[in-house]
Amino acid sequence: MLLIRPDSWNLPLILHVGGAMLLVGSLALATLLFIQSWREREPETSSSLFRFGALTMFFAVLPAYILMRIGAQWVLSREHLENSNATWIGIGFGASDFGALLLIISLILCGIAVRRVNRGGAAGKLAKAGGGIALLLIALYVIAIWAMTTKPS
Amino acid sequence: MSYDWLLFLHVLSAFTMVAGAALFMGTLLALRRKPDTVIAARIAPAATILWGVGSLAVIVFGVWLAFHVSIYSITDGWIIIAIVLWAIGGAIGGNIGRGYSALRGGGIGSMELNRLTIMNVVLAIVMLAILYDMIYKPGAG
Repeated sequence: MLLIRPDSWNLPLILHVGGAMLLVGSLALATLLFIQSWREREPETSSSLFRFGALTMFFAVLPAYILMRIGAQWVLSREHLENSNATWIGIGFGASDFGALLLIISLILCGIAVRRVNRGGAAGKLAKAGGGIALLLIALYVIAIWAMTTKPS
Repeated sequence: MSYDWLLFLHVLSAFTMVAGAALFMGTLLALRRKPDTVIAARIAPAATILWGVGSLAVIVFGVWLAFHVSIYSITDGWIIIAIVLWAIGGAIGGNIGRGYSALRGGGIGSMELNRLTIMNVVLAIVMLAILYDMIYKPGAG
């Protein structure tokens, strides 16, 4: 991945990169389920797909985000870059913080929709919103991956 | 192509491969919650595509990087370990994809489900081992 670095950076880096991989992987799963949910005509199947997508957001995406963010802060502190003005760190923080905001909105929408689905209703537009936000998050994280690897100055 | 772009494409491919593995795991969880579920059948094809594209691209850009960067050699221990782990992961992923293709023709039996569970766990361990190898680079420098 990177050229040789001090050993003390490796553990936080593995947490950061591993968390980011889990984050993008679980987001891909949730996005696929939300898209399938809104395309499905059979209401019961659509609800099942949405519920599984929402559970993925709560039990996989959120923990992965926390792991990625803790790893990021830890690696920054090991590299003594907490006060750096480097562009790539700014992009990383931007993607991470704006991503957190989108993730919170998405989790709230999913929570409301799951309650509605459990009462026999349909996820409807909330499934579309969930899928849209999850897609936006994936796009945001691809930009973050670009910034972390190419490190634009 | 510059080192930065090769590294970006290599890492992006690795993320795609992990997304494929996550979808494999999602398919398995759907099957275990409710055997023959329609959810699993919706996830499996995308999982196979993401896994295939990601694993092919990651080795292409990885080997390209190994030749591009003068301090790396394709015969470095950590690179050979990565290639061996990639081949093992590729074989397991391909096997999981073929296992899920039975969803098209109906359901998956409990014996097959147990086999797929073991395969998914082993694949997760192999992916973790690759990440460890890429970051710690044992034997390098």
